[in-house]
Amino acid sequence: MITGSECVNKTDEQIVVLTLKNQDYYLFLMKRYEAKLLNYILKISNISREDAEDILQEVFIKAYQNLNNFDLNFKFSNWIYSIAHNTTISAFRKKKVRPQTVSWEDKDLNNILESTLEAENRSLQKLTYKQILKIINQLPLKYKDVLILKFIEGKDYREISDILRKPMGTIATLINRAKKSLKQELKKEDIKLKKL
Amino acid sequence: MKNISNKVLKKIRDNNIKPKPRWYFITRNYFIWSIFGISIILGSFAFSMVLFIIKQLDWDIYHYIGEGFLKTVFISLPYFWLIFLILFTGVAYYNFIHTKRGYRFKFISILLISLIISIILGTGLYFNGLSERLENVFLEKIPYYNRLVYSREEQWMQPKRGLLAGTIIETGLPENNFILMDLDNNRWKIEAGKVIWKGKMTPATGLKIKLIGTLIDDNNFKAMEIRPWQGKGRFIMRGNQ
Repeated sequence: MITGSECVNKTDEQIVVLTLKNQDYYLFLMKRYEAKLLNYILKISNISREDAEDILQEVFIKAYQNLNNFDLNFKFSNWIYSIAHNTTISAFRKKKVRPQTVSWEDKDLNNILESTLEAENRSLQKLTYKQILKIINQLPLKYKDVLILKFIEGKDYREISDILRKPMGTIATLINRAKKSLKQELKKEDIKLKKL
Repeated sequence: MKNISNKVLKKIRDNNIKPKPRWYFITRNYFIWSIFGISIILGSFAFSMVLFIIKQLDWDIYHYIGEGFLKTVFISLPYFWLIFLILFTGVAYYNFIHTKRGYRFKFISILLISLIISIILGTGLYFNGLSERLENVFLEKIPYYNRLVYSREEQWMQPKRGLLAGTIIETGLPENNFILMDLDNNRWKIEAGKVIWKGKMTPATGLKIKLIGTLIDDNNFKAMEIRPWQGKGRFIMRGNQ
């Protein structure tokens, strides 16, 4: 019987090697990413928690089946986020999931707003939490995706590039465009409300 | 949510799910790189054919046929092989981005690198004479190949536009005139009294030539300039006779 304490000081990559010898180690790897990935799936897809949990199970199984394809020179976290991203997108395309409004934590919204708006514009006081969320959710997926990875998941450009499998230059462009687009939408909405 | 990881592990055990073997991924990786390599090589062949066709055409005759240079270029480009070059470069790109680190490179960088490798290898193949051999094989084995590419034969078989090509079959007529069998096996009487012979040639039976001049009627052509079949007549090519 493997205990959790055995894996506490081990890196993800070390646990991958152990999992290939004994599948029980995989449990500890999954536990490390369970909450993070579920949040990520929920945020990029706007789906119900139930559907997101189904996708997450699929992600873990896919990752397990492809464990021998994981390159130890890469970060496991980027690799599994990439699988989560692709699985979520394909579930969406297959229309296996039902879009819903997902609640975000205030700090997540603040992170995005702070990184998008200049100090003088940050006080979009007329906008409620719900309105801001609606605007973020209406952004094209490619923009929402990079904003979430950069400002909520705290990934750097190289990591986002590995997750979305796009060159770093493209990631930088996407982030800039996403910020610009969000800023415009927020201002538009704010002006609309001020006029009322 | 607490049970997701446990549920998945149970599913893995119950359904006896195993990681796919390492050799599967190694083979797949080699396969992708091989297709990339093959596409580059096929692209090189395509480029060598482009080069061969462009080099064998005479680009200085556009004013004889009353066309602009750009129009001549537009008509003469070997689109058939250019399409293949683009196609193989596209396949090379597709495979490269599916390699482990391929996605890290920009679209334009991958495309340019694939194209440059094909161009370099293709130029090497051209100078090795492979494209000429391939052209002969294609002409012989592929039906209608000559209709797919704008060949030197097509370029020079336009008597109405003052261009004719063929082999001299009879000499010694008055005023240096001679009889020519054109590339479509039609017999022509060539008026060559004031002709300029390029490439230090003299009229001789069996000599394959290109003529610039004027069509007189269905069987008579007045030549103004005669070039050897190979080249533009700046030097005499072996194998003309």
